[in-house]
Amino acid sequence: MRVVVDQDLCGTSGQCVLTLPGTFCQREPDGVAEVCVATVPQALHAAVRLAASQCPVAAIRVIESDAGDDERASADPAPSPEEVERHAARDQRNPGGHDGTV
Amino acid sequence: MCDAARDRDLLRTLQARLALAVRSASQQVTKMDVQETTAACRDAFAELASPACIHDPYPFMRWLREHDPVHRAASGLFLLSRHADIYWALKATGDAFRGPAPGELARYFPRAATSLSLNLLASTLAMKDPPTHTRLRRLISRDFTMRQIDDLRPGIARIVAARLDGMAPALERGEAVDLHREFALALPMLVFAELFGMPQDDMFGLAAGIGAILEGLSPHASDPQLAAADAASARVKAYFGGLIQRKRTDPRHDIVSMLVGAHDDDADTLSDAELISMLWGMLLGGFATTAATIDHAVLAMLAYPEQRHWLQGDAVGVKAFVEEVLRCDAPAMFSSIPRIAQRDIELGGVVIPKKADVRVLIASGNRDPDAFADPDRFEPARFYGTSPGMSTDGKIMLSFGHGIHFCLGAQLARVQLAESLPRIQARFPTLALAEQPIREPSAFLRTFRALPVRLHAQGS
Repeated sequence: MRVVVDQDLCGTSGQCVLTLPGTFCQREPDGVAEVCVATVPQALHAAVRLAASQCPVAAIRVIESDAGDDERASADPAPSPEEVERHAARDQRNPGGHDGTV
Repeated sequence: MCDAARDRDLLRTLQARLALAVRSASQQVTKMDVQETTAACRDAFAELASPACIHDPYPFMRWLREHDPVHRAASGLFLLSRHADIYWALKATGDAFRGPAPGELARYFPRAATSLSLNLLASTLAMKDPPTHTRLRRLISRDFTMRQIDDLRPGIARIVAARLDGMAPALERGEAVDLHREFALALPMLVFAELFGMPQDDMFGLAAGIGAILEGLSPHASDPQLAAADAASARVKAYFGGLIQRKRTDPRHDIVSMLVGAHDDDADTLSDAELISMLWGMLLGGFATTAATIDHAVLAMLAYPEQRHWLQGDAVGVKAFVEEVLRCDAPAMFSSIPRIAQRDIELGGVVIPKKADVRVLIASGNRDPDAFADPDRFEPARFYGTSPGMSTDGKIMLSFGHGIHFCLGAQLARVQLAESLPRIQARFPTLALAEQPIREPSAFLRTFRALPVRLHAQGS
């Protein structure tokens, strides 16, 4: 599993840092959330999905790995690889601040 | 003049109650239930200001959820009261809902042209949309990161201990002490004085006007209430104007100095009006709400002694208790800022027309049985071991809002509560009410004028 924060969307509430302080952190200059791990260990998968679902502005994307992940059908279905890339590349700038995931 | 308005409201409510009582008696109805008293309610905001709702607003909120969850008030404002609808509307802010556009302010605030308070409100973070909102929020967020707030913890703990020490002699002499004024209000004020780099006395002076400003911003505020708010806002604005000058010549490590620096580096990043509005907004948002929650937490400790064990164990238990207090009594009962529908929106069979001003009744969403089972029961276990603000069922506690305007000071408030409650419990285990607390007669802010406490005599 990988996890990506859309830093254009991030509302700096810090909720993800409270949920999983070892996985998320906030940038010093502006409080925007960052992911501080390359991959998420199995034990934290459920917590990461929870952090994603709790983010007030839905800025956290969970990218489930393809191989042998039996938790795929849970509450937060993985976005398509194309969608993930769009978010990762941050080229989907939306002046409204939302990406339709209301 | 505020009293006159209140008296008028009181009179109107009493007349309505009397008419109802006569009608009920003639129909030989013996039980005067909430449904009857509110079936003719044309304006939920007026009902929330009634003495019955000031005493206990939750029966009316239940009625609203069950009978009129997408309420249209006499003024044309919409009020959402179900958890799912509120949650959706908060997340859709910035998209389906936005703040009033600059040219539309007069439409939603007809008195804005002459009211300083409404003008300041219009420039606060809470009224902005992206990208302006994003720019301003990120300027201030650096002082409210989880790490920054955690660094404040020892200082907050010291203030808590000092305030409790200050209350101890009178309590130990058997006297009553007003916990609202001496502790609940004093703590956030002292914390803010430190954050803003202000002398404590200045902060106590400014804070005296906050209640008047909050009442003036309420959608149903009378002209005299708004005038009182404007007088208080003018004092706040003048004070911050002077403070900004002092920080400009003598910057320190505080929020005001940091914002002044950002403004002086680049006025496009932060204009003068935005700077004053931001400080004014933090002053309004920060204290009264935190004080109200401390009051409600202490009342919960006294009302449910069987739940006090949560405050005697580890931080996880304290956190659960704090979240449940926040859920049970949202201090800001409804949203004070307009959310303007950007298109016709159908919700629960009601069409909210484009350009309508939609408010959310947060306190009702927190008591919605569809989100929190047995919602009127005080049960910290709902939040035990969960991510802050989320119940074990995965439902969001709404008191800090949600979406782009999620409360900037949420963690600061949580830390103040978590540092306070176990110390109050440990220091004064025999704390009791000295007399019934006196509620502030506000429809918007559920808080107290006074919370007199004393110590139980040992062995009595």
